Order: sequence, then C-alpha cells, then structure tokens
Amino acid sequence: MILITGGAYEGKTEYAADFLKINPDEILDGDTCPVQKAFSAVCIKNFQKLIKRLINEKIDPIDFAHRLIRENNKLTIITDEIGCGIIPANKSDRLWRETVGRVCSMIASESVCVIRLSCGIPTAIKGKLL
Amino acid sequence: MLTLITGGSKCGKSHIAEQLLENVHCEKIYIATMIPYGKEAHAAIERHRLLRAGKNFTTIEKYTNINELDIPEQSAVLIECMANLCANEMFDSGFDADVSGRIVNAVKKINKACSRLVVVTNDVSRDGIEYPEETQLYIKNLCHINRQLALIADNVIECVYGIPVMLKGEL
Repeated sequence: MILITGGAYEGKTEYAADFLKINPDEILDGDTCPVQKAFSAVCIKNFQKLIKRLINEKIDPIDFAHRLIRENNKLTIITDEIGCGIIPANKSDRLWRETVGRVCSMIASESVCVIRLSCGIPTAIKGKLL
Repeated sequence: MLTLITGGSKCGKSHIAEQLLENVHCEKIYIATMIPYGKEAHAAIERHRLLRAGKNFTTIEKYTNINELDIPEQSAVLIECMANLCANEMFDSGFDADVSGRIVNAVKKINKACSRLVVVTNDVSRDGIEYPEETQLYIKNLCHINRQLALIADNVIECVYGIPVMLKGEL
C-alpha cells in the first residue's frame, strides 16, 4: 500500500496522478464511491470521508481496514491530515477524528511508502519518494 | 532568490525570516500586511516591531495590491504575512473569491525586482474542520498560493517551534 497525506488542498491527488502515474479516472472519491469498491480500487481519495461514511453506516472501520489490508494491498490511499487543532466539541466529530487517526496509522504501518505534502512539496516520511 | 516559510501559529517563522536577512547588507524592506484592527492586532504588530528593532528594516504597510509597490533593485524584502494578505484581498472590500493568481503574480514581480525575498505564510489546512464556504475558499486560496510560491521558491522551510525543517533547498 501507499499512503499520501497532508492538509487539505495540498496537491495530494495531483501528486498521485503526476508522480505515481495513476489514471485520474481510476481515483475513487471516498465521499461518494460505493464502499465495497474499496476492495478492488487502484486508488481512493478523501479516505477520511469514507471513514465517516463507514461510521454512519455502522460498519466497523477497524475491521474494514483489516480487510482492506488483506484484500487490496496494492491500494494507494489519499487522506487529509485532520488530527491537529482543538478536540471537537461534538461527540461524532471526535469519534470520526480519532477513528481516522487509528485507521490511517494501521494503513501507514502496512504501507511501503508514506508521502506527506506541505506547500505541495512531497516528503517521504516512510520509505522512499516514488 | 525566494524563500517561503510556513508553519503554524507563533512557531517562530518571523524570527527565522529575520535571521535569514540578518547578514544582508543591502536595503531591507519589510512589507507588513496586517491591518491594525483591534487590540490583538495592535499588540501583534507592536511585538513584531520590537522583534525587528535595530535590524535596519524599512517598514511599508501595504494591506492589499502589493504589486503597486516600487521595489528598488539590490534590496532584500520580507513579506509578512501571506495569510493576512490573502484575507485582505478576499474580504477587505466586499468579497473576492479569485485572488490567488494576482497575489502570486505580485510576489513574482517583487521577486524579480529585489535580490532577496522572504515570504512568511501559514499552515491553515490541517485541522480537518469543514468551515463555512467563504472560509473554506480562503483556505483553498492560501494553499494554492503556497503551492505556487513553493514551486518557484529556492528554499521552502516549515518552521516547527523555532526549528527550520527544510522542505526544499538548503540553508
């Protein structure tokens, strides 16, 4: 697996397309794609939003991540870094933020490469730049 | 030569920016973009003034349209900061969503004129909060500006509690 992260609007999807040569048509949007497609996808963006949908649909995100790691270990995941700043006052926002942290840590641990973008500049924080 | 400095709030970006220009012997120009609205802004401006005291900067207060400035050749310029400039351009007179292109062009113009340019910006997109549309657009614009400037910059520094982490180039 490959994990691409960083704040919002940092050019993560462009990085996947330009440097990992992933066809933009093959990048699913975690905000809208059918959940089951994740197991056969090449790349998913807005993975943090997919996790929100899993929570809303009462699918255990940790089980989901285990299955994703087992069944689709060629997947490239693009996710916003969302854990910084003040703990949200709203309980469901807290649960979402914590779940994204846990799930993305699992994904990062299984990834050969983790890229973090800042000012659009990629830094390999695990593995080597591709 | 362009250096972009990013990072969170109060992480020492200005200090690093001023240090970079410490041993520069040409004319030093400080473009201050913060509008002095209210007590907090006045306090922040005063704190920055004290930081710069004795460092031979000429301060120009310019809150929008920095492209209008006449920058002398062989000068060193510090723009502080992009987060304010972007907000001013978007919200100061009515609402303008489309500002990133003209801000980037203005910085390019200044970069061409002077011999050394340092731009201080801010990391505003890492908290995961969905803000109202206009704020979301502000975050998007500032990120877009940061990325465009990072592309042409010689050095990009992310400042973490006073420690410069090099994202591009070498100090």
